[in-house]
Amino acid sequence: MRIKRFFRSLPMKIWVILAAILILTFFSNDFGLVDIQKTAIILAAGVDRTEGGFALTAQIAVPKGTDRTTGGTSSIEITGEGATVSDCLSQIYAKTGWVPKLVFCDLILLGEETAQTGAFDALDFFLRNEYVPDSCLLAVCEGSAADMLGATSAIDDTSSLALEKLFSDAAKKSGRVMTTTLREFAIGYYGVSESGFMPYVRMQPQKSGTQGGAGGSESGSGGGSGAGGGESQSEVIFSAEQTAVFAQGKMTGILSDEETLAFSMLEGNVYGGTVPADGVTLSVLKNSGSVSVSAEERLQATLEISLQVHLISRASPSSPENIATDEVTGEEEAAAEALLTAAVARLWERCAQADCDLFQLRRTLYRRSPEDYGKWKDTPLSEIETIVRVSVQGLE
Amino acid sequence: MKLSARQLCFFLAAVAPAGKLVLMPSQLAALTGNDLLFPVLLQILVQAGLVFCVLLLGRSGRTVYASLADMVGTFAAKALCILFAAFLLFAAFVPLVEQKLLVQSLFYDTLPSYVAFAPFFLFSAYLCTRPLAAMGRVWDILAPVFLVGMLGILLLSVWSADYGALAPVGAAGASGFGRSFAYTQGWFFDAALLLPLVGKFHYRKGLAWKGALCYLLGGMILLAFLATYYGVFADIAVTQLFAFAHMSKYFSGITAMGRIDYLFIFAVAFVMTFYVTMPVHGAVETISEAFGRTKPLSAILSVGFNGVLLALLLIFNFSPSETIAAITERAFWIFPSFAAGVPLLLLLIFAVRHVTERRRHAN
Repeated sequence: MRIKRFFRSLPMKIWVILAAILILTFFSNDFGLVDIQKTAIILAAGVDRTEGGFALTAQIAVPKGTDRTTGGTSSIEITGEGATVSDCLSQIYAKTGWVPKLVFCDLILLGEETAQTGAFDALDFFLRNEYVPDSCLLAVCEGSAADMLGATSAIDDTSSLALEKLFSDAAKKSGRVMTTTLREFAIGYYGVSESGFMPYVRMQPQKSGTQGGAGGSESGSGGGSGAGGGESQSEVIFSAEQTAVFAQGKMTGILSDEETLAFSMLEGNVYGGTVPADGVTLSVLKNSGSVSVSAEERLQATLEISLQVHLISRASPSSPENIATDEVTGEEEAAAEALLTAAVARLWERCAQADCDLFQLRRTLYRRSPEDYGKWKDTPLSEIETIVRVSVQGLE
Repeated sequence: MKLSARQLCFFLAAVAPAGKLVLMPSQLAALTGNDLLFPVLLQILVQAGLVFCVLLLGRSGRTVYASLADMVGTFAAKALCILFAAFLLFAAFVPLVEQKLLVQSLFYDTLPSYVAFAPFFLFSAYLCTRPLAAMGRVWDILAPVFLVGMLGILLLSVWSADYGALAPVGAAGASGFGRSFAYTQGWFFDAALLLPLVGKFHYRKGLAWKGALCYLLGGMILLAFLATYYGVFADIAVTQLFAFAHMSKYFSGITAMGRIDYLFIFAVAFVMTFYVTMPVHGAVETISEAFGRTKPLSAILSVGFNGVLLALLLIFNFSPSETIAAITERAFWIFPSFAAGVPLLLLLIFAVRHVTERRRHAN
């Protein structure tokens, strides 16, 4: 009886066992085990151009407590050189014996020269590789990417993590930084506009002693001595308030801080960011922006920004009533409008100089009518008539 | 035990679309760019019509083999069944290669050993020996799993999609449309998958059009997926081989919460594993029917077919793109020959026989 019952339920048992085997082999991902002794978990990659091709600097996460830090993520930078980015990685493997693992790579930093001479031969490897997430952030840096990744940040022991803080959603909403991912940049490049942008990162030295004040972050970069007594160390602060613009994959210009803010507002990204206006600072509560193009007798682009703001700071003493109401005067609104209108005009001019179709106007034309696109696609941006409309309104 | 109408409808609406999500979108993007929806729409309409025909064949309650044997004799019927089973095994190869690539690429951070996929054939061999009723129960479970998975993926993806990328309509031209219609035949043979089930489901009034409608519903889900896929990847869509597993990761919440979209991706991938076994199951079913339905025969066929497919997969392990191109681009005509030709021919034979019998009765 028991044996009969066992055989009757046997198909179900086999079914369960097979399903378990299948799930374990398919979905286990080797149980997510990463042998840290044999694997280089690359947090960020910096690409510089060399005479023979490229130099790839990989910022690799290492186990805590080696010698570098007492908090945060520890990392080391290893550079490999080769004709292609893949060759560079192979050299890193040959040098270290660590298998490079790019699945956690969240940032690709291009050196200035690499960006100027063409970004896509450097990015080719990352676009092809199935194991590199195309949601990783892209940025251009002043000078060499190796130097920037190797710098000791005052914010975080690992420079790439300090850089990623600059590209957070909150930073993007402030309007001070325009971020892009590998996917977005590639779509811009391979589209009819062949244009794109990346945040342009600079670093400024910040002198600080080991007995730092508020933050108290220690960074033992350079290995060896660990926390030495009164030694002072050169730390840096990163900033990404400027934006590099690209045409046909090459960096052709840099937008200033104000132009970056105007660009951000045209994209409608800003929430909680601030706008200076005639001795006051206005905080943006609502932002909508658009860039449209019409093609009749000639091409005409309309750039519109609409902001709802409230007063957040005044450079002169105010009455308690004024502080209580946060009221923005008509003059202040007009001053902000004038400032932004000028910034948008300069932004347009800069794009025209750089021949960068930053607002994807050619793409808009192509999608609307391939005939119109064929007719106007070679028109330089400088010949497009522009209308700028900026509206800044305080709370009623 | 026969399949119920509900189970068939579940298969058509929410299991069949799962087989078209891996490499077909990038193939379409390569051939037609932003016009990828139109060839698929035509494929769906054609298949829905064929599904209608095949389900109509089920009205007689007789299996395809039994009907063929009546018409052309048992020997010819057996030969035709072998030919049809060979087609199903041929058709099984593309989904198998896709599934292998998907598992290796998606579920592992680095390239795993190439035998990691081998256990799938154990699973498939066992599934192919199970009676149809078990398959029906599986569809009952898979349909909601697929719908939840697909809905989750779409919900997380729509925010990153720029549907304007689908414009302008007609950019690929007639040649692009024609080529993509031809080269995606390898993914649209669902009506042929139903043929081994003819006579093994309860035909209720209206099942033929209900089934076709369910297939259209599944097709709409597929079209929504393709539109979102192209919206997310636009001009780089052609580079996205496993798009359904990647398009949801750009959702802003993912950075804060981690890859929660994997829950939905796993759900869809789970349904796919069952869909991949369907052609092999159909081949076993067809031959078993023709040569006397015995348990040992089904088991031998199942082990044999899966063994052959495993061997072929290992032989062509390092040339997946060439294999898929050979099947879908050079041998694409085989698919409509069987998937459309066989049901239409059978329907014609039945219609002629029906008319002849009516005339005989009238006389």
